[in-house]
Amino acid sequence: MSGLLINLDNSFRDRLWKNTIVAIPYLWLLLFFLAPFLIVLKISLADPIVAQPPFTPLFQESENGSSSIFTTFDNYLYLFQDSLYFITYLSSVKLAFISTILALLIGYPIAYGIARSPQPTRNVLLLMVVIPFWISFLLRVYAWMGILKTKGLLNGFLLWIGIIDQPLELLYTDTAVYIGMIYSYLPFMILPLYANLEKLDVRLLEAASDLGAKRWEVFKDVTLPLSVPGIVAGCCLMFIPAIGEYVIPALLGGADTLMIGRVLFDEFFLNRDWPVASAVAIVLVLLLVLPIVYFQKRQNQELLSES
Amino acid sequence: MNDNERAFIEIRGISKYFGDFAAVYKADLDIKKGELFSILGASGSGKTTLLRMMSGLEVPTEGKIFIDGIDMTNVPPYKRPVNIMFQNYALFPHMTVFDNIAYGLKKEGVAKDIIQEKVSKMLTLVKLPEYGKRKPNQLSGGESQRVALARSLIKEPKVLLLDEPLAALDKKLRQSTQFELIDIQEELGVTFVIVTHDQEEAMTLSDRIAVMEAGEFVQIGAPNLIYEHPKNKFVADFIGNINMFDATVIDSNEQDVSIHCEALGGDIVLHKPNHAYNIKEISVALRPEKVMIDKQQPTDENIDFVTGIVEDFGYFGNLSIYRVRTNNGQIIQVSKQNRIRSEHTITWADEVFLSWESDSLILLES
Repeated sequence: MSGLLINLDNSFRDRLWKNTIVAIPYLWLLLFFLAPFLIVLKISLADPIVAQPPFTPLFQESENGSSSIFTTFDNYLYLFQDSLYFITYLSSVKLAFISTILALLIGYPIAYGIARSPQPTRNVLLLMVVIPFWISFLLRVYAWMGILKTKGLLNGFLLWIGIIDQPLELLYTDTAVYIGMIYSYLPFMILPLYANLEKLDVRLLEAASDLGAKRWEVFKDVTLPLSVPGIVAGCCLMFIPAIGEYVIPALLGGADTLMIGRVLFDEFFLNRDWPVASAVAIVLVLLLVLPIVYFQKRQNQELLSES
Repeated sequence: MNDNERAFIEIRGISKYFGDFAAVYKADLDIKKGELFSILGASGSGKTTLLRMMSGLEVPTEGKIFIDGIDMTNVPPYKRPVNIMFQNYALFPHMTVFDNIAYGLKKEGVAKDIIQEKVSKMLTLVKLPEYGKRKPNQLSGGESQRVALARSLIKEPKVLLLDEPLAALDKKLRQSTQFELIDIQEELGVTFVIVTHDQEEAMTLSDRIAVMEAGEFVQIGAPNLIYEHPKNKFVADFIGNINMFDATVIDSNEQDVSIHCEALGGDIVLHKPNHAYNIKEISVALRPEKVMIDKQQPTDENIDFVTGIVEDFGYFGNLSIYRVRTNNGQIIQVSKQNRIRSEHTITWADEVFLSWESDSLILLES
């Protein structure tokens, strides 16, 4: 009897341990994601006022002393009425999407090359991918301004070797934003791809080759489909931060480079319209989270149907 | 097969260097059409490198490979009439069993309905007719092995190369699969070249075995030839269990050899050796199952024997293995069939007489 009690006690303690360990990431997310999200959500449902803080409180006390909840969807309606926001979202998605695709096209061969090189070289190459992180992100983007400006390094070089006879207008254009985005986020594309390609069993490639596949067919039939998880991870890691990117379009982009990060900044700090800025942020989060949830669900269903 | 007919696979003076290291060194080999041929060696003996050179996955540093009379030395793998069944099978994890097997045909551009027909036929041959829609991660070890076999046979290769085909299976399954492999080979008439480190697998599967050590062939021949007439100490020791003793040659001619072997009780005369022995130091080898063990002294006066004490004794059901320390301090291993039920009259510390037929003794010069 007492043995049974001890057993129960043990299993209870085990469960408690497990639950505590599982709870830590949840707690983290709750504190640093859900709570701020709710605060932003609250602000997005308020009206802007000239006060400190610059928005109406959620609970309002009426004259007879009873309090009521005040919310308004005006900010969201405003986002839909002013086509600027819609266009900006669209152009952010487009900029992030195109730079992600380009980074994939550049990053895949690099990741493949690193994964296929001998072990000592591999470590050096990986280090070279990561080394830019040792310098501040802001400084690196500033450096690109120096490279891309009219009398900058790139134009100087191109003029010197005689490809062009007039300097190119690069800085403050969408092209500069693409260059900056691809440059900054390329490691986030390369590393997950490398992690995936490095695990690829060489014998699978040999088996395909033995069964009559030419080199590019081996790539198309075996390497590429098996690296899909790496591609998805790399693209997510790049696309999600890229869509809300502020620094790169602010420093390298022109006045007509519309990105949601800049709109957000302007609403907050120039217009001091916190509720609209919050609404912009909430819509952005939904825009990013909903498709991911959808894909995750579909993937889970596929896994279920397979087993 | 006629002697002046060309062998189906001819390997001529082939070497493969990795840096300074010769994985395979000037190997020559002839394999006949429809043969079940095994290359047997320890890991690092160069057997897998040789197989990879036959498949085209590795290009030889020197030498030539002919298959069916055509020089294949530098032909890429996807153009060879050879397929390989990989160790651990290397099934494509993202394709169904059907797509795995169909892959070779798809790359040949075979029409869809013919692929369908051939793959179903192949699935029936390997006894997995209902498995087409499964993914490799839903297969057991034995099933994966059959799918891998089906995939490598679908293009009807002239030669099938098998890299450790049974190593990943458990013992019971290995035995049944061995016989299935032989059946399939006989049905299709494909030449099988098997690479293995497992001597039992090589013995039961093959028509002929090539024993490989340090990149070179040590002996090539039928399983019983290699077992009963090993060419040197390495082969004798590598294949099966063996007792080996030092001896000196006293007198030798074409008819008889007389040797002195302390461990086997003194002077022994062997009749009809293969040739005269010019050297003095020699090894005598004796298989455990060729030693007779008894508590009584042998009655036949012509038979040689030694006496000893049973030091160790292992019961395996079908047979028992004894380690006997002879009076002059040598250990001799003996295995004995348990022919009669509940008969283990010989046990630890018993005094026993060990005897053997003189033509069971193997003389090894190196």
